[in-house]
Amino acid sequence: MKIIFKEMMLLLITTFVVLTISLLVQISTSESLPRVESDFRKAAPRTVEDLTQQSITRDYGFAWERLDRALSSNSPWLLEAYFVGPAKVRLANAIAGQESSGMQSHYLNQNHKLEAVFYSPEGDVMELHDTAQYDLQLVADGKHIQDEHVVLHYVVLMTPAADRWVVRQMQAVPQF
Amino acid sequence: MWSLINTVLPSSSVLRTLFPLFGLAVCLTKASLAQVEVPRAPATVVAGSSFSVFTPGSGKATFYLVGPGHSSKQQIALGQDVHIKSDETASAGRYLAVVCTETCQSASFYVTPADPAALTFLVHPSRVPVQEENAISGAVFLFDRFHNLVLSPATINFTLTTDGRDLFSRSMPSNNGVAWLRVGSGRAAGTAQLMASIGDLKVRRVVRQVASSPCNLRIKAQRAKNNIVVETDPVRDCSGNTVPDGTIVTFTRTDVDGKSTVDVPIKQGVARAQMTPSAGAVISVASGVVMGNPISIGERP
Repeated sequence: MKIIFKEMMLLLITTFVVLTISLLVQISTSESLPRVESDFRKAAPRTVEDLTQQSITRDYGFAWERLDRALSSNSPWLLEAYFVGPAKVRLANAIAGQESSGMQSHYLNQNHKLEAVFYSPEGDVMELHDTAQYDLQLVADGKHIQDEHVVLHYVVLMTPAADRWVVRQMQAVPQF
Repeated sequence: MWSLINTVLPSSSVLRTLFPLFGLAVCLTKASLAQVEVPRAPATVVAGSSFSVFTPGSGKATFYLVGPGHSSKQQIALGQDVHIKSDETASAGRYLAVVCTETCQSASFYVTPADPAALTFLVHPSRVPVQEENAISGAVFLFDRFHNLVLSPATINFTLTTDGRDLFSRSMPSNNGVAWLRVGSGRAAGTAQLMASIGDLKVRRVVRQVASSPCNLRIKAQRAKNNIVVETDPVRDCSGNTVPDGTIVTFTRTDVDGKSTVDVPIKQGVARAQMTPSAGAVISVASGVVMGNPISIGERP
């Protein structure tokens, strides 16, 4: 009887440790910044300046990090800093819909390959193609209803704001 | 995995018996649950159009539609079409139709932009000197009525007009939803309109063409009581346009004592300054990089 009790305790402890580790891994992944690789060689007609390249890469990553946080916690105010115009309106609508239907979305393990395809002559708008990979989890009423690894193509318009570049348009397409 | 379990639980005859039984129980439970089938959605749908998603099977289920600007949930009866309204797919992008009973199945589809219905036309600058090459730039983005970027190629017509006359006209195909051009400014100062159009859609932007730098600056001097009044002829650019008031003209007097300068804005087309006379002085004029004729001042007889 003693041996069985000991074995059961061991089993419980092992289960607890495994669950805790997996939970920690998930939390650390969802809170880490998306990985963004960028290529500005095809940008035309204007050449993208070095500092602008750095800003775009950094701010696009921040935008996706905010998008994940906003949609996983149904907090539209998190969109404020990096989304404007139609992109912000759409994401806010999606959050409102999620909230009313008891849903959340998680965008985990994000990797983005960003390629600039158009940079306006006066530098006031840039069009980018993003090949994004991430694990999409949809949760409804506490239950996972979708869990998939996706590779998606996004057409993105970014415009400069006071101290950063912001996402104005973000549209998934079947292919570029 | 088994080696790990064996290491953690050595000689556990009870658990060795329990594990397979537990596994069998889990399998049986899973197998006994109703398996929902994959919903059937069209591969692509045009934004703002209504359509149906077929959900095979029988019984009740929950249907979720998740897209870029939309998330909704509804209870449905399997084996029937779920009608998706036009306003639920206004935003272009990837959508997921998820059907859940005890388990869930999903189908993805893309909503593509509708026909172009709006043009966003960015033109720079708003004020440009005449006769400058590639001085005006314009970029047009095509959007449908839901503000989705229209990515299929379309021909955009650009026209630059001034006083009702076409200065320039060109058709360009859009690429990735955008078309752009650079064009030189016209010869005459005044209002120019750069127009972008596709079918009946037209967008105009006004560009103010102003005189370029002064050309052929000429001055004349006239003695007054105690000084000399120096005045330019009407200041014009090389195309004959009057240089706008406020443009600075610099008069410089050079004599044995050195140089003195006066900066004067053009008023009503001319620049005027008063200078103290001195024997042997030379007065010259300049505006920007353009210099005018120098005048030598002799001593009063």
